Amino acid sequence: MHRVEHVMGMPIVVALRGERDGDETLVDEVFDRFREIDRAFSTFREDSEISRIRRGELAVQDASEEVQQVLARCAELRVETDGFFDADACSRGGVDPSGLVKGWAVDEACAILDRAHGREYAVNAGGDIRTRGRWTIGIQHPLDAKAVAKVVEGEDLAVATSGAYERGEHVRDPHTGAAPHGILSVTITGPDLATADAYATAAYAMGGHRAPNWTARLRGYEAMTILADGRVLATPGFPAA
Amino acid sequence: MHRAITAAVGAVALSLPVANAAAAATARKIVTTRAVTGPQEVADRWGYVEVTLVVRKTTTIVGTHKKVTRRITNVQVPIYPNHTDRSVFINSQALPLLTQEVLQVTQFNPNIQLVGGATATSDAFALSLQAALLQAKKI
Repeated sequence: MHRVEHVMGMPIVVALRGERDGDETLVDEVFDRFREIDRAFSTFREDSEISRIRRGELAVQDASEEVQQVLARCAELRVETDGFFDADACSRGGVDPSGLVKGWAVDEACAILDRAHGREYAVNAGGDIRTRGRWTIGIQHPLDAKAVAKVVEGEDLAVATSGAYERGEHVRDPHTGAAPHGILSVTITGPDLATADAYATAAYAMGGHRAPNWTARLRGYEAMTILADGRVLATPGFPAA
Repeated sequence: MHRAITAAVGAVALSLPVANAAAAATARKIVTTRAVTGPQEVADRWGYVEVTLVVRKTTTIVGTHKKVTRRITNVQVPIYPNHTDRSVFINSQALPLLTQEVLQVTQFNPNIQLVGGATATSDAFALSLQAALLQAKKI
């Protein structure tokens, strides 16, 4: 079974296979969690904790534990990515952890599915995916939506892609404000989607000159970079089918 | 919305060459072609997009052994934005034609269950396609 709902400004697909196939209550629980996260983190909701922090009405240390954890992870990722993933530089209205929240929300949803022993599932949030069990994933061609640039296959994967036409955010180099150069997309695979997504965003912002080498140094995460000249550079462990 | 375009094309019986002619097994092939359609999705300001996949299912039966293969033979977009901005939408889809010979392009096939890396101009397309791919397994 699978269900699609629009939450957090994007379509989210939850698919179940095996013993939990057809468990509507479990899927309800998963989407409730997405809505709960949206209420706390959305920059489009006036009353969200993040909006209140941005307006200076709420101090970070007085925010919920979850909000504090996510903001702390954003700060860590900023260091890990040489400042290319930067929740502070993304917007003028103050801190904006949206770039991490999407992946983190999917990881939270997967924790619910894991606790329910839903051993076979997939969650696809606007093209960023986490799976349990063996699934086959087509990575859309960065220039041709009707075609596949690469097929990824593996067990228990998080797969995040950042590219030129990414929905809702135009990734820029936080240091210069310039659009990335010489690069079409970066796909990162690894154990958790929040980190994979942040790495993909950072590598894409680095541009074609720097991204492939930077991704080669990641631990526990694999990468595929598609350069503007059509070269596709993947790390040796990238789970291509 | 499901639309069956063609059903049950035919059954073909053929003999397989085996070492022992007396034990020659008979293989039966059943070919079914069906169309699966994803939901209509909103394509930003352009309108609605709906994707239909034509899936050919081949069932080969030799004795008690059954093998099923599925192939996507066509991708159709029966509903696409009909709007003054339609040309913008079509241009954004056609853009890749200029660079296709440089980049490797493969088609979606029924083994693919999930669509990663959806883009803003094609979100609705990707979502409808995603749903159709999950249905393609069920024909």
